Amino acid sequence: MTVWADNRLSDCPMATVTCHCCGGDVMVRKSSWNQTSVQWNTETSVRCLERRADNAIACSTRGVFLACAALSESIVDGVRRGDVPIVDEIAEPVKNVAT
Amino acid sequence: MTLQSNTEEIRQIEAATAPSRFARGWHCLGMTRDFGDGKPHGINAFGRKLVVFRSGDGAINILDGYCRHMGGDLTQGEVKGNEIACPFHDWRWGGDGRCKRVPYSKRAPRLARTAKWTTLEQDRMLFVWNDPEGNPPPPGVSIPLIEGAGSDEWTDWHWYTTTVNTNCREVVDNVVDMAHFFYIHGSLPTHFKNIFEGHVATQYMNSEGRPDLGGTEGARMLGTTSVASYYGPSFMIDDLTYHYEDADHQTVLINCHYPIDANSFVLQYGIIVKKSEALPDDLAVQTAIAIGDFVKMGFEQDVAIWKNKTRIDNPLLCEEDGPVYQLRRWYGQFYVDVSDVTADMVDRFEHELDTTCPRAEWMKVVEANMAGRSMAGTV
Repeated sequence: MTVWADNRLSDCPMATVTCHCCGGDVMVRKSSWNQTSVQWNTETSVRCLERRADNAIACSTRGVFLACAALSESIVDGVRRGDVPIVDEIAEPVKNVAT
Repeated sequence: MTLQSNTEEIRQIEAATAPSRFARGWHCLGMTRDFGDGKPHGINAFGRKLVVFRSGDGAINILDGYCRHMGGDLTQGEVKGNEIACPFHDWRWGGDGRCKRVPYSKRAPRLARTAKWTTLEQDRMLFVWNDPEGNPPPPGVSIPLIEGAGSDEWTDWHWYTTTVNTNCREVVDNVVDMAHFFYIHGSLPTHFKNIFEGHVATQYMNSEGRPDLGGTEGARMLGTTSVASYYGPSFMIDDLTYHYEDADHQTVLINCHYPIDANSFVLQYGIIVKKSEALPDDLAVQTAIAIGDFVKMGFEQDVAIWKNKTRIDNPLLCEEDGPVYQLRRWYGQFYVDVSDVTADMVDRFEHELDTTCPRAEWMKVVEANMAGRSMAGTV
């Protein structure tokens, strides 16, 4: 089976961020300050303390864990340090062809 | 001047044929009340015909629709005791798939079995477990209970069923497709986030009303807050609150389907509404019907697109689109053997969309529509 790739990733791939709390690695891509995608791996899911705490009380959300605050902070730090590029800031200025 | 240079390659739409395999997972067949009357019911699902019947012992059973003797149609048969009797020669089949009795014979062929499916009755819905490998459902993939279902504080289900002639991946794609909610459904998303993990795919969406679309539910309400999760390949529970000027209406919307074959599926949706001071019994029921009709209109808008669009495996995306590829990677876990499920199909993935740019454009459209209406004297 052919696996197709998201064209957006060839414009700007994901960058590694390590959580300052549990030390787990995730892959991050930021399209803008307010747009973030985060790819976890199995090991990080096991390490994450907030996820573990949430699982213990997850009945109210039908088992869906919303976000890890420590990881979100680590991602912001990663952006500030320049480890995580923001697509908006590196993309070519002309975004839409004038019609 | 030269002709357009040939350096930029033309992007081709790629699409393999829809899989002939059917997803592993729980599929909702509809309301138990429509199957539990002690008569056999025929269902076309997973590329075959199934017979659904409640036996004398109270269990709802699902078997392959055709008798292994001479191919009689069991859906035309009769429930006798705990068995379904074939209309052709009265062969009796039990819910465990075994031939229990051949009334005119000294003994039934004991070793032969027909295909049977595991069933589940929950919250007044009937579920069937499909697994091409033939394994029973593992405990971790159960369908969560719905708090309001069956409660006096909520309405009963208002349930809708329709057949759609396309592959069911189209309906699942909606989980990540923020922009279509504006262009197809007249809604105005202001917050949009997806989380995929294990067998669950979730969409968080807040939206504002559409004052420019006069006479619709979207014009009357201020907005919605929605948390919708697929539990497995086909069953979505949506905790959906409609915000109105005078009150919030809390609802649960089910959006589910089962495949008939590779190129058609049965789409079903059901709504329950919480009763409140603002919504006593009758009004809550009316609200459930009104919202149900609104949702129905929404799916009809989807169907109109699906009827005419082409299947596409390599969608070309902009930054303001959702994670289509990651959703399909998640969805892929249900189409391979359990031993072939890879970590990236089930590992957690989060994607939060920045709605700033889409919203600015959509507000312009809304304002232009409002201006147009006031010019025409309709406001």
